[in-house]
Amino acid sequence: MATRAQTQPKPPAHKWGMVIDLDRCTGCQACVIACQAENNVPINDEKSFLDGRVIEWIRVERYWEGDFPDVKARFLPVLCQHCDNAPCESVCPVYATYHNNEGLNVQVYNRCVGTRFCGNNCPYHARLFNYWEPVWPEDLRNQLNPDVTVRTRGIMEKCSFCIQRIRRATRGGKKVEDQAFNPACVQACPTDAMTFGDLLNEDSRVSRMWEDERAYRVLEALGTNPSVKYLKQVDADA
Amino acid sequence: MPLTRRQFLKWAGATGVGAVVFNGCRVPDHEIAVQSPVEMPEDLVTGRDNYYATAAQLGTASEGLLVRVMEGRAKKIEGNPDHPVNTGKHGIRAEALLQALYHPDRIKRPLLRIAKGGPFRRITWQEGIERLTAILQAREPGQTLIATPPLRGRIADVARGFAEGSGARLLGFDPLGGDQVVREAARRLYGQTAQPDFDIARAAYVLNFGADFLGTWGNPTRYARGYGEFRQGARRSRGKLTHIGARYSVTAAAADRWVYAPPGSEGLIAMAVANAVLDGGDLPDADAARALTGGRGAAALQAFAPSRVAAQTGVSEDVIREIARELAEYKPALIIGGGPAAAQANGLFNMTAVYALNALAGSVNRPGGLIFNPPPRSQEVPAASLREWRQALTDMRSGDVTAVLARDANLVHGLPGALDATGALRSVDTIVSFSAFLDETAEMADLILPCSTPLEEWGTDEPNPGPGYATIGFQQPAVNAYHDTLSFGDALLRAAGELGVAALPWENMREATRALAQELHEQRRGSVVQPTFAEFWKRTLERGGWWDTGATADASRPALPQLPAQAPGVPQSADASRYPYFLAAFEGVGVGAGQYAHLPWAQSAPDPITTAAWGTWVELNPHTADELGVKNNDIVIVESATGRTLRAPVYISPAAPPQVAAIPMGQGHRAFTGYAARRGANPLDIMEPAEEAETGAFAWGATRVRISATNRRNVVPKLEGIEPARQLHGEELIFTHTPGRKSEQDH
Amino acid sequence: MGNTLIKIAVPVIGLAAALVIALVGYFVVQSWWSQPPAVLGFGDGPTQPIAFPHTVHVTTAGLDCQFCHRTVSTDEAAGVPAVAQCRFCHDFTRITGEQSESPTAEAEIAKLIGDLIEGPDPVNWARVHRLPDHVQFVHAPHIQQGFSCSTCHGDIASMEVVEQVRNLKMRDCVDCHRNNEAPTDCTTCHY
Repeated sequence: MATRAQTQPKPPAHKWGMVIDLDRCTGCQACVIACQAENNVPINDEKSFLDGRVIEWIRVERYWEGDFPDVKARFLPVLCQHCDNAPCESVCPVYATYHNNEGLNVQVYNRCVGTRFCGNNCPYHARLFNYWEPVWPEDLRNQLNPDVTVRTRGIMEKCSFCIQRIRRATRGGKKVEDQAFNPACVQACPTDAMTFGDLLNEDSRVSRMWEDERAYRVLEALGTNPSVKYLKQVDADA
Repeated sequence: MPLTRRQFLKWAGATGVGAVVFNGCRVPDHEIAVQSPVEMPEDLVTGRDNYYATAAQLGTASEGLLVRVMEGRAKKIEGNPDHPVNTGKHGIRAEALLQALYHPDRIKRPLLRIAKGGPFRRITWQEGIERLTAILQAREPGQTLIATPPLRGRIADVARGFAEGSGARLLGFDPLGGDQVVREAARRLYGQTAQPDFDIARAAYVLNFGADFLGTWGNPTRYARGYGEFRQGARRSRGKLTHIGARYSVTAAAADRWVYAPPGSEGLIAMAVANAVLDGGDLPDADAARALTGGRGAAALQAFAPSRVAAQTGVSEDVIREIARELAEYKPALIIGGGPAAAQANGLFNMTAVYALNALAGSVNRPGGLIFNPPPRSQEVPAASLREWRQALTDMRSGDVTAVLARDANLVHGLPGALDATGALRSVDTIVSFSAFLDETAEMADLILPCSTPLEEWGTDEPNPGPGYATIGFQQPAVNAYHDTLSFGDALLRAAGELGVAALPWENMREATRALAQELHEQRRGSVVQPTFAEFWKRTLERGGWWDTGATADASRPALPQLPAQAPGVPQSADASRYPYFLAAFEGVGVGAGQYAHLPWAQSAPDPITTAAWGTWVELNPHTADELGVKNNDIVIVESATGRTLRAPVYISPAAPPQVAAIPMGQGHRAFTGYAARRGANPLDIMEPAEEAETGAFAWGATRVRISATNRRNVVPKLEGIEPARQLHGEELIFTHTPGRKSEQDH
Repeated sequence: MGNTLIKIAVPVIGLAAALVIALVGYFVVQSWWSQPPAVLGFGDGPTQPIAFPHTVHVTTAGLDCQFCHRTVSTDEAAGVPAVAQCRFCHDFTRITGEQSESPTAEAEIAKLIGDLIEGPDPVNWARVHRLPDHVQFVHAPHIQQGFSCSTCHGDIASMEVVEQVRNLKMRDCVDCHRNNEAPTDCTTCHY
């Protein structure tokens, strides 16, 4: 039997975070599809929309304000907020979701038994359940990203901040420059509304935006302490 | 005989117990195969990813792309950070090129119909090309019609050369007519042949008439790039955006102010704004004002006094004067127009009035304004007007055109139903389709020579609108042909070789592309300058293209023409009392006008405004819905004066104007793969085949409809309502910020 | 008499059934715990499209693993060489297998020049080491940390037919990671 080395936990090397500027966001859906391509998200067919079982790791929510002609649609891209005090983590009976030392809320697919407690407890509805085995036509399987596990029926999935890209960039303890890599959604966003980076790196773009006067967290009063902040939309005429 | 594991598992699987116990052990053969290709460049070893730079034409948009390839399979598409048009970003349709490549319903090999209306049989490319040349040789010049989408770059040269050499007529087909009217307005006002770029990033004010430039119009990824900077760019103050249009689009939602104007009234409003600007006296560009009004100032535009226009259009005089004030106050101000505002019987008047405002605002060919583009190096195959297509259909019926060669030009779905393209195509002897998918037009074909998808092809793409200087995106195959297909260019060049077309000396598109690269190399300027051609070629492919920031448009331009003193009379298309609603058809965010309906990602990307996907719906104002007695998801019948109808469920939108029925385009396919067929309805089908008075462009924004309720329901598939509301008491999800004030909650 | 038959048949059938269940149970437990027992070909390496002997290449020819598996120190996968690389030795310098003691060598090498090389089709090598889909194993850091290939793959140099020698179950990975102070965060391998 191997002896277990008793080691002190190393100080965290990174704390990943994201800032989304709602004043730049147009709701164009480029992030949604880029994410689906990168992360082997099953095709959301018509039935999944009708059944309310759409799987989008990032989705753009639309909120109406007012009525014609003084109407305004506001967009809120919602992804897993990677809360430091995550309500989903404490209810998982099999420890399939936990917080790692890089500030990520992790979903371990092979541990998940599909109780859906975490999904129920997530105030952001960022967790999505595979009610069915995801199927792709044989030809379309050629596109699947080999760096990301294809989830099977009966387990939860959610945004991972593209952990496969994080792993690739930081492999072997490499030092990463700010903006050297980005999750698929950030990379695609045509208006640069999303900024991703290391909050422990004081010079990173995301650290500077973290303190912006427009910064706020969604459902802040819950005390979940998310790693995603939003910058308020500017309403010049309000 | 030794029993191998594979055999044992087969045997075990056949027995009941084995099936249960060993099912988990069995692995599909393709998953245990590790492929070791025969020939690979030394840097390409299995298990490692490679990025190939390429370029794609996506309708009117252009994007430079990087394709991630592993083991010969394309995995992901990303924007090419070097490409000047989209600088590292990309949209839904670019991503979905992967699904076009690996689409399960692609046509995999050349097919020949055994007898009219009968099944197909497989043939070889050699036979296919021989049959194609025989079809062309058997016909007099002009009897063959080649229909393609508007083409840019090298493929345009090849298609044009092929048509000239073989005596065929070449017509570009875009269901919405490209941006023909906008280009014509830019030509008449500023003498420009290429469509101008918009410097949104540096504009202080953007006034937009109708164009959904952040969603589907023009080059949305590029415009969105600019928009981000326009809002929150460093070292600048926040820009202001006003949108005038009939439907609450993505651009309208992004705007600081949305003004509803009835379709067709955009020109009047632009003229009224011009009148008010001239009236205000504080002119940004007095010379332009003098030229546009013949020196008479506001008096020349008397017919467009804000009060009169307000009475005609219902847009209040205060709003018109406010916009005029803002145009004079914010510098630079950029004025954009297009989409439904151009697709009117008076479209050219509208666009002339809109783009002339740029001259009044002093933002022509200046930072933050309208930036002219140099004419493209390869002459485009532009979208033909509806007038030309109507003529082409007449020629088909009369027997003047006896063969149609169609490549991704879906005339059956894309032309207004009243023109009966199906009937016209039936009277043609031979139809050859080059489409990669069996769309409605390809279904009628006698010979199918399936083309490859953009990720498998050589070529170039010259963005139009470009970024303000000469830009040529180079397209190289990121993967080998996945099926037994040829690129459209390669097929034409092979046929040209058989026919002996002298203008096309190249054997394939790679050679044609190299020949162009050779020309660029010899210029010794631009983004890639190398001592040898081999180096130039390698470097250009690596970077995804060649561009020359020094090659801008000719700065000299003809004197501005005088603005019309009167609005042109608009033929009333349908009786407003019998057809009380405007049909505001709009492109689907993914599926466009139907060209991308076969791609699951394009289908499943929710419409940002309604969050609906995979279908067709009718956006109605709550009061309108009440009057009609319909609720959400009730099916209504929408009928135009052509007598054609469509049925679709209702989506009640608080942003829908009471006089407007907004319906997304893109669906209503009879064929075009399992993802598109028998889904939703096609508003193009019920549109009146109206033309823009001068250019003959399709006035797809000018149809009026009436709506009647049915007692049936069909739920609109949408994201909205899937997640229960989860606001905390007293806590909003979306906060807004008003500069100069402590941030406050928004309601 | 009917009773006697039943008296004999029941225990016999019962015993046989129990034996089958025990055998199947042993098989399942053993497979779950480590590897399937080496019966019925389960322990053997798969049959490859070309009978490639690592023995000759490593021992006789003296090639380093990385001569063919080039990306092992930089990438996820160790990489299988292109056929073109095989022909680097087997075509130009004419190592045709004539000198080999093995009677099949010439025929196997001839495959490189014959059928396989003519068409565009790749050589479909059968995978020997196969981890579940939810495991993202990356070779590079292991090699960079100084582990030799044989740590996990065993003495390939002496294998005529390559087979898996280490069970490569999660416990095996985690023990090794703990002993070497490598990260044991779930997302090291699972994402």
